[in-house]
Amino acid sequence: MSEPPGVVCRECPDRAFVNVRGDVGDPRLRDAVAQVAGVDLPREPGTWNQADRSRAYWLGPDEWLLVVEGDDGLEVEGRLRSALDGHFSVVDVTGTQVHKELSGPDVGKVLQKSSPYDFHPRHFPPGRCAQTVFAKATALVAAREDGAFDIVFRRSYADYFMRWLADAAAEYGYRLD
Amino acid sequence: MFRIHCPHCREARSEEEFSYAGEAHIPRPVDPSSLSDSEWGEYLHTRTNPRGPHREMWVHTAGCRRYFNVLRDTVSYKILAVYPVGEMPPEQGEA
Ligand SMILES: [Zn+2]
Repeated sequence: MSEPPGVVCRECPDRAFVNVRGDVGDPRLRDAVAQVAGVDLPREPGTWNQADRSRAYWLGPDEWLLVVEGDDGLEVEGRLRSALDGHFSVVDVTGTQVHKELSGPDVGKVLQKSSPYDFHPRHFPPGRCAQTVFAKATALVAAREDGAFDIVFRRSYADYFMRWLADAAAEYGYRLD
Repeated sequence: MFRIHCPHCREARSEEEFSYAGEAHIPRPVDPSSLSDSEWGEYLHTRTNPRGPHREMWVHTAGCRRYFNVLRDTVSYKILAVYPVGEMPPEQGEA
């Protein structure tokens, strides 16, 4: 009998990634994103919002990552460009990003040993996100309501990242779905 | 290894997330072609290199990727102030 794994990593396929920059004080930006992606841009540093099939992560004071699930995700960039007016930047970065879901009872321990960032739930409750170093790679980590974490990192780091994860999680029992 | 408070992320982060970006408050000459070689060399290479409080730029490379200024004691490494680009440091900064 094998124990259930302490950490489970699952690929999250079929999503578009769009980098958005602009003035969050400009209602035209917020309205266009809400209309096209159905999600509000978070204004609070280090937080993220989810609505329906879209997620919006705070990356900087004028920068967000939109992640939209579904087949039509690649149209998000075009639709945003049509809906936006003024000074902004919208760039589809789908080809550069990997999105994984980390779950399991020991996922917090693996994050804590992999990064100098304080991933303790007291400091990093559901709704928080942070870009930080994960071993020697950089990643965006987001805490979810169900206790799991979403991790977004660059495709070029994928091999390094997944090897590190498999090694770090081995002591708790690791399963890659 | 020390921790730096990022004014954009509004929390203290590990030094390894940041990169040092040189001495702060060195304006680029408005018309470089009107400068003599020694004036241009002064702008490019001459730094104050103080023993004590030093005004410097940092960028949160692995985090929000934004720049900000730091007043740091080069002897103790103590960070005396963090302040936005375009502003001068609070009082003790005129060291
Ligand atoms: Zn930052």
